[in-house]
Amino acid sequence: MGLLPDEAKVLRPPGIVNRNSVWFGLCGWATAMLHNSLNRRPALKAGVHRQALFITVGWFIGYHLTKYENYKYATLDRDMNEYIRLHPDEFPEKEPKTFAEIVEPFHPIR
Amino acid sequence: MPLGRLLLRTSAVNKMVSRNFFIASKPDPSKPNMLRVGLAFGSTAVLWALLFKQHSTDVHEYKTRNWLE
Repeated sequence: MGLLPDEAKVLRPPGIVNRNSVWFGLCGWATAMLHNSLNRRPALKAGVHRQALFITVGWFIGYHLTKYENYKYATLDRDMNEYIRLHPDEFPEKEPKTFAEIVEPFHPIR
Repeated sequence: MPLGRLLLRTSAVNKMVSRNFFIASKPDPSKPNMLRVGLAFGSTAVLWALLFKQHSTDVHEYKTRNWLE
């Protein structure tokens, strides 16, 4: 974790297959295929080494981006919960209402 | 000295910056540059190995810090 502080290690690490990795991998693959097309080569069958490299780079960046995203959301949640804990008067407990009390009376027009 | 002679000299020293009109050729797909292909596949393998190692380190750290093992 180069750009993450030490406290981020308590968070659950994302799986190898995660949303950002898949997306960036696909973007890398699309870039390689576009590169092939623009150089008038068959899009899928040419430059397999390039496709593999771009997919891998995208996957790698996606994994670390997911870790960073998890950390950012975790800090936001922690700050929010801390604020709620320190200001209980701003968050009163409301007793739950039944639907009968909320719903307006129904006047059918047939 | 004719400009063509000077340009011939250019091809020997800066192959990277520009391609000499007289000796440039289209890239030939039937003769791949195996060094570049090998480097691409090699760095692919290295990146995957790094990713798996980082993941296993992260999982181990997570378990250690949360006293799961």
